[in-house]
Amino acid sequence: MSVDRVSGIGLAALALLVLEETWRQRLPLGSLANPGPAYFPGVLALLLLVAGVALSALAGAGPGVASLSWREWRHSVAIFAACMFCAVALERLGYRLTIFAALGFLVGVIEEKPVAATVVFAGALALGTFWLFDTLLRVPLPRGPFGL
Amino acid sequence: MMQRLAPLVVLALAAAIAPATAQEAYPNRPITMVVPFPPGGVADLTARPVAAAMEKVLKNPVGVVNKQGAAGAVGMQSVAVAKPDGYTLLLALSSISIIPEADKLFNRPPAFTVDQFAPIALISADPTILVVPADKPWKTAKDFIDDARKRPGQISYSSSGIYGTLHMAMELLSQAAGIKLRHVPHAGAGPALTAILGGHVDALASGPAVVLPHIKAGKLRALAGWGDQRIAALPDVPTFKELGYPEAEFYIWAGVFAPKATPEPVLARLRATVREAVNDPEFKAAMDKLETPVTFKQGDEFQRFFEADARRLAEGVRRVGRVETR
Amino acid sequence: MLEVAQNLGLGFSVALSPAVLFYAFIGCVIGTLVGVLPGVGPLAGISLLLPATFGMDATRAIVMLAGIYYGAMYGGSTTSILMRIPGEAASVMTCIDGYAMARKGRAGAALAIAAVGSYVAGTASVVGLMVMAPPLAQWALRFGPPEQLALLLLGLLVLAYMSSGSMLKALAMAALGLLLGTVGIDQMTGYMRHAYGVVELGDGLGVVPVAVGLFGVAEILATAGAPTPPAVIRPRLSELLPSRQEWRDSAWPIGRGSVLGFLIGILPGSAHIIASFVSYAVEKRLSRRPQDFGHGAVAGVAGPESANNAATSGAFVPMLALGVPSGPIPAVMLAALMVHGVAPGPLLIHNQPALFWGFIASMYVGNVMLLILNLPLVGLFVNILRVPYPYLYPAILVFSILGVYAVNASVVDVWIMLVMGVLGYVLRKLDFETAPIVLGVVLAPLIELSLRQSLAMSDGRYSIFLEHRIAAALLAFGLALVLLNLYTFVRRGLDWRARLALAGKGDSS
Repeated sequence: MSVDRVSGIGLAALALLVLEETWRQRLPLGSLANPGPAYFPGVLALLLLVAGVALSALAGAGPGVASLSWREWRHSVAIFAACMFCAVALERLGYRLTIFAALGFLVGVIEEKPVAATVVFAGALALGTFWLFDTLLRVPLPRGPFGL
Repeated sequence: MMQRLAPLVVLALAAAIAPATAQEAYPNRPITMVVPFPPGGVADLTARPVAAAMEKVLKNPVGVVNKQGAAGAVGMQSVAVAKPDGYTLLLALSSISIIPEADKLFNRPPAFTVDQFAPIALISADPTILVVPADKPWKTAKDFIDDARKRPGQISYSSSGIYGTLHMAMELLSQAAGIKLRHVPHAGAGPALTAILGGHVDALASGPAVVLPHIKAGKLRALAGWGDQRIAALPDVPTFKELGYPEAEFYIWAGVFAPKATPEPVLARLRATVREAVNDPEFKAAMDKLETPVTFKQGDEFQRFFEADARRLAEGVRRVGRVETR
Repeated sequence: MLEVAQNLGLGFSVALSPAVLFYAFIGCVIGTLVGVLPGVGPLAGISLLLPATFGMDATRAIVMLAGIYYGAMYGGSTTSILMRIPGEAASVMTCIDGYAMARKGRAGAALAIAAVGSYVAGTASVVGLMVMAPPLAQWALRFGPPEQLALLLLGLLVLAYMSSGSMLKALAMAALGLLLGTVGIDQMTGYMRHAYGVVELGDGLGVVPVAVGLFGVAEILATAGAPTPPAVIRPRLSELLPSRQEWRDSAWPIGRGSVLGFLIGILPGSAHIIASFVSYAVEKRLSRRPQDFGHGAVAGVAGPESANNAATSGAFVPMLALGVPSGPIPAVMLAALMVHGVAPGPLLIHNQPALFWGFIASMYVGNVMLLILNLPLVGLFVNILRVPYPYLYPAILVFSILGVYAVNASVVDVWIMLVMGVLGYVLRKLDFETAPIVLGVVLAPLIELSLRQSLAMSDGRYSIFLEHRIAAALLAFGLALVLLNLYTFVRRGLDWRARLALAGKGDSS
């Protein structure tokens, strides 16, 4: 199974999903003279479907799926988890705490830098950017418990 | 043993007294005024002088935050569910009454409902005016309406968006005068103005401040206004009320709201603050520069105005219904 | 001519006064910063600083805000070139060839070319603004929905030239991007599409979270975990400046980019960020070595960078000449004018000559200031690359999240950025290009709206596109381009078969 074949199938599946969703949401189709909200997404989803099918049909011999390198997946997942934490905690824990924690995790745990350097870096960046935006530019950033 | 308990007792006493003192100390943190529209728009430009004047009165920072999206629904929803402690306020436009109705029309759970807010004060209420390109043959509103009756669905107008303020104003007229116009929605008031200036549509309902320079320059002609009274800057332009269409009354008004459950003393404090703020000379000067007259209403007066407006708009939205897609 | 010279004299006397000069400088510095920070773009920068201008005089206020706008276009190329992370949405195209040049050790050259191209484009388009503003603006007003649709469809053709790989894959990505662009409230009927009750999605995904996610976050996810960290590039001073050949290669693209960007900027309703996309495609089409694009072609940096600077000056044309905003940024600046009691409108140039000419003059001055700011800073910026990657990428992430959040105080934007980041990462692994997605997200709402508006204007008749001459001309041009390409495609195919047949004959004899 070449990579392109898998991608093509994936895209076609996505297109079908979109078509099904548009149907389920009961968006009116309208007509050619007066297209409704379902018209444009419908046409685009069909286009995507055709592209996906064409891609997987014409895929033929290419690099196989097995040749894809996901070696760094653990690292990437960790980074992404830290980002997700930021998104979830930003308005609950406040900006400074969230960023400090996320940076501490990324630099200290994932990148395994010395504790002192991590704390200084995380603290400086969290407090510095907060000062820049909230205090200097008067763009309110979320504050968490204890007004942090 | 008593020694160990003593700190606990002190803490308990402090905890009991603290809420009481916290109330006295309102406000002791920066207050946020949420503007649910992009910076530079009518709501934003009205909010900033108000916030600045309130800051002077309260001697406490009042910051403006733009939270735009979905024609104001995002910002309005955020305040509807915000903590009702008096630190989050909303500066809303008349679309606050329209959005829940539009949601009902589409059988969606409403983003918010009007009764999730406690009104604090009305700041300005600009009536919309009907403008047409200067090279069109209609010299009076009567010409326009008569022509629309003769050619239903042929005269086009632009608006800032479907079920938006400029759309609803025109709809109220259409329903009152029994005419049918062709609606070409645009993505905001700016593009709507550009469309009429370029001659791509035949008419526009607009707030007076943005079109005044074009009327003066002779590019646009004002036919009538949706207000209760004529506009000071355009004394020759009649109102639809005068012309016999009293249901065509629409204002792009801006008012300050707070979440409904905000405690009464805090609300009273805020209302007194805004009352003082609108008399501040710097505020008046700022509003003058914007050519936006200040129409201050509070309490029962505001409540009546708000409810009448909401009723008109709800009925209007219901009668517009969903846009037909043949 | 004499009048223009006199007016310019007046303008310079205003612009070179210490106070105005100071605010122009502040605007340029903030603009550069805003451009460098991923996520915070010029619109956010101007909106954030609008309140700070209320206490100022009107000329100073708009000089500062304008400085932020075109300054951001200078700064946006920096992170694009050095780290493949767009500083703001219009710099997405610079990420592609700019970063490739950096990988080849030509980071300094790329930065310098971007700065000079921006300067030339900025200055040249101010001349255009100065000389031709009122008639240009009048002409631009004639672009209504049918004309906009025709132009946007031409813009879609651009997609065909954006990919260096398989055309089919680019098409699929374009379709995906266009599809993502339909999320939100349907502007014509009020229905919510694919928003699943999340009110914040009402206005769509937003190009900034999408661009920063697809390019910035995806880049970090892919490279941060690589077993060997990206080689730290330590350029020598002599390598900082472009070679003579590189200067020669960038001359025509800068010229073309300036004209193209200026024209796109004047048109109301056009998304000015497509100026850089269109310029990239034009350069690739006209280049004698199109295979270089994607691997460090100088024209791929010079063209788009010039285009987006020229577009900013173009955007001021309708704003100043008519009082009509051609996009959200000019709208904010118009509001700034209104707040200061200056009524924008057709009579602005007439009533406020000091303001108008002072503004024009300060744009000349501002562009010079930015060139002076940016060129020597090339050395400084390139040193950012020396920061060890394990410290650099968390910092970039923080700025991206901060920037994307601060624009609208919305965590939903941060989530969109993250999801697009994962999508970008996966797509890179599967060997797809992600730039067409950004273009699709920008174009979809515009194309759909113009089409349906045109049909609303004409009561459902498609003949409106033939009745409007400009639209018809543009569509005919587009059709001609498509046919020309098909012809070349078919001919190449026939050629190949003929050669094969000849070879066969040769074999059998």
